[in-house]
Amino acid sequence: MSRFLSGVGTVLALELRQRVRARGWYILLGVYVLLIGIVTLLLSLSLGTFAGGDAGSGVLSTIIYFVLLLGTLVTPALSGNAINGDRTDGTLATTQVTQISTGQLVVGKFVAAWVSALAFLAASVPFLLGAVLLGGVRADTALVSIVVLAVELGVVAAIGVGLSGLLARPLFSIVVTYLVVAALSIGTLILFTLAGLATQSTVTSTYRYAESIDEDGDPVCSAVQEDTYTIPRFDPYWGVLVANPYVVLADAVPTAFDDDGNPVDLFGFLKTGVRQAQIPPDLDVEYDDCAGEFPPSPTAQEIIERTVPGWFVGLGLHALLAGGLLAAGWSATRTPARRLARGSRIA
Amino acid sequence: MTTDAAAAGPAEGAASAGIVVAGVARSFGKVHAVRDATLTVPYGSVTALVGPNGSGKTTLLLMLASLLRPDAGRILIAGSDPVTDPRAVRAAMGWMPDILGSWASLTVRVTLELTGRLHGMPRERARRRADELVALVGLEALADQPTRVLSRGQKQRLSLARSLVHDPRVLLLDEPASGLDPAARVELRTLVRRFADEGRSVLVSSHVLAELEEMADAAVYLDAGTTVSAERIRRARTSLRDWRIRALDAAALEAALTRLGVPARRDHLGTLVGVRSETDAAGLLTRLVGEGVPVAVFTPAVGELEHTFLDLTRDAGAQPEIGSES
Repeated sequence: MSRFLSGVGTVLALELRQRVRARGWYILLGVYVLLIGIVTLLLSLSLGTFAGGDAGSGVLSTIIYFVLLLGTLVTPALSGNAINGDRTDGTLATTQVTQISTGQLVVGKFVAAWVSALAFLAASVPFLLGAVLLGGVRADTALVSIVVLAVELGVVAAIGVGLSGLLARPLFSIVVTYLVVAALSIGTLILFTLAGLATQSTVTSTYRYAESIDEDGDPVCSAVQEDTYTIPRFDPYWGVLVANPYVVLADAVPTAFDDDGNPVDLFGFLKTGVRQAQIPPDLDVEYDDCAGEFPPSPTAQEIIERTVPGWFVGLGLHALLAGGLLAAGWSATRTPARRLARGSRIA
Repeated sequence: MTTDAAAAGPAEGAASAGIVVAGVARSFGKVHAVRDATLTVPYGSVTALVGPNGSGKTTLLLMLASLLRPDAGRILIAGSDPVTDPRAVRAAMGWMPDILGSWASLTVRVTLELTGRLHGMPRERARRRADELVALVGLEALADQPTRVLSRGQKQRLSLARSLVHDPRVLLLDEPASGLDPAARVELRTLVRRFADEGRSVLVSSHVLAELEEMADAAVYLDAGTTVSAERIRRARTSLRDWRIRALDAAALEAALTRLGVPARRDHLGTLVGVRSETDAAGLLTRLVGEGVPVAVFTPAVGELEHTFLDLTRDAGAQPEIGSES
C-alpha cells in the first residue's frame, strides 16, 4: 500500500509542478479572489444593514455557494484533459513505461485535480473568516458546508479525470465534463420543473365567503360553492433535486432558525424550498370565511421537521458517478492496451 | 557490418537474448499493422529494424514496450512477457518513442529526475542519475531550461536520456537519429555501440539507413507487417547493385569499360556499373587497373542496408505472395 501511495505521490508532484502551477492558473486564482472579494463586500454591506449583528451566516452561506459555482466552472477545465491531454502531448506513454501503474496514474491525477480545485476554497478562507467576524455563524454550519463543498469539488475533479481517460480528445472530454456538471446543477432543476408541470392534479375547492355584515356585526355568508382547477404536482419528483449539488449542500448543512422559525442563511432557505416539494398539495381545499379561524401555514422549521433529508442519497449518487467514471477511465488507459479509441495514438 | 541474423528462431538463445519475438501479430480493426514478426536480439548487440513507412515498425516497438497487447504470438523482453508481467519488462526496458513529448514547463534536469522517481528511485539517486544523463547526452548548457525551449534535436537527446534513466538492459529506439545534426549522429552512433558493448540488447528503427548500417550488427526487415526471411534477404543481397567509379581520366574509364563489355551509366558524381557481389567488384577493379585506368573512387553507390531495403521494396511490388515464406 505504501508503495502504491508513494507512486501516487510522485504523479501528484509531477502534475502539480507541470500542469497546475502554470502562470494562467495563478491569474485565474487572482481573478477569482477579486470576484469573491467584491461579492463579500457587497453582501456584508447589504445584509449588514438589515440583519444587524447576525449577518455572518447569510454572508458565509453565499460565499460557500459562490465557491461551489466557480469551482464547478473551473475544475472541468483543470481535470477534463488530465489523461488524454498527456496523450496529445506525447507524455502519457513515457509515463506508462515506468513502474507507475495505471491505477497510480489515475489516482494521482485525480488527487492533483482535486487539490487544485481546493486551492480555490483555500483562497476564499479570508472571506469566510470575515463572515465569521460579522457574527452569527454557527460552527457546525460552517464545518459541514465546507466539507460537503470540498467533496463536491472532488466529484467534479473525478468526473473530469475519468472522462479524460475514457474519451480520446481533450476538448471533447472537457466539454462532456461541463455537460455532466450542468446536467447535475441545472438539468435536475429543468427536469424537476418540466416533470412537475406535466403532472397536473385536479383540486376541488369548496368555499363560501362573507358577502356582507349584518347589523350585529356578524358576517352574512354566501352559499357553499364548489370549484375545480388543476395544479402542477412536484411532490413525486422531489427526488430529482436530490442529485443537485447545490441542494445536497443545502440539505446536508444543519439549519439554524430564528424566533419565527425562519432559516438564518441561504442553505436554510434552499432547504425549505426543496423539502416543501416533498409535501403533496391538498387536493380538497376548504375555505370558510365564516368559520372564523384559519389554520396557520407551517413555518420553515415545521416543514423541515416534517420531511426527510435526501442529501446522503445525492452525495452517494455523486460518489458513484465519480468512482464509476474513474474506474472506466482507468480501464480504458490500462496497458498493454487491448483496444485503442478511434483515431487515438497510444504514444 | 556483418548482417546475418534476420529472422532467427524464437527458441534459439532465449536466455542470452534481451528481445525474443515469435509470430507476433496485431491489427487495428481491419488494418493489419503487424502480421507476423519474428526476431531475436541477443545481449551485447545492436539490431536495426528496417522497413518502409507503414510497415509496422512503430506498432511492433509499442508491443515490445509493453504498451500494446499483441493479438497473437509471444514476446519476451529480458525474459519477461510484457502481457503477463509488464512491471518486470518496464524495469528492464528503455523505450525512446518516435514522437517527441516532454513536460513543457519542467526543466531538463527535473524531467529526468521525475522520470527516475516514476521508476521508483529514491529522490537522491534520481537526482544523481539526472546529472549523469544530462552530461551523457550533452545537455549541460540547457539542463535548467524548461523543455519547451529545446530544439528538435535537443528533444531527441532528452528522450534518449529519459529512456536510460533506470539503466535498462534492453533498449528500444524508435527513429533516434531523426532531427540530429551530423555531429550528434556520430555521437549517437558511438553511444549506441557503447550500449551494446556494455552488454545491452538494442533494437533501433530508422529511415537513415546509412546511419543504421554503421551501428548495427544485424538487421531485421519488416515488410507489410512481416519480418522478411533470411532466404529472401540473401536473394536481395545477391541481386545487381550499383557501384560508383570515378577516374582521373573519365574518357579512359569509358573506353576501358566499353572494351571490357561492362554496361555503364553516368550520373553527376561519376560512372555507375551494376555488380552482383563484392568478388565481382574486386575482379572489375583489378581489370580496370590492369587496363591502366587511373581509378580514384570505387565504391558501392548505396549502402548495403539501403540496397537490400530497396530491392525488397521492389520485390514487394512484384511478388504479391510475400510473407508466405516466413
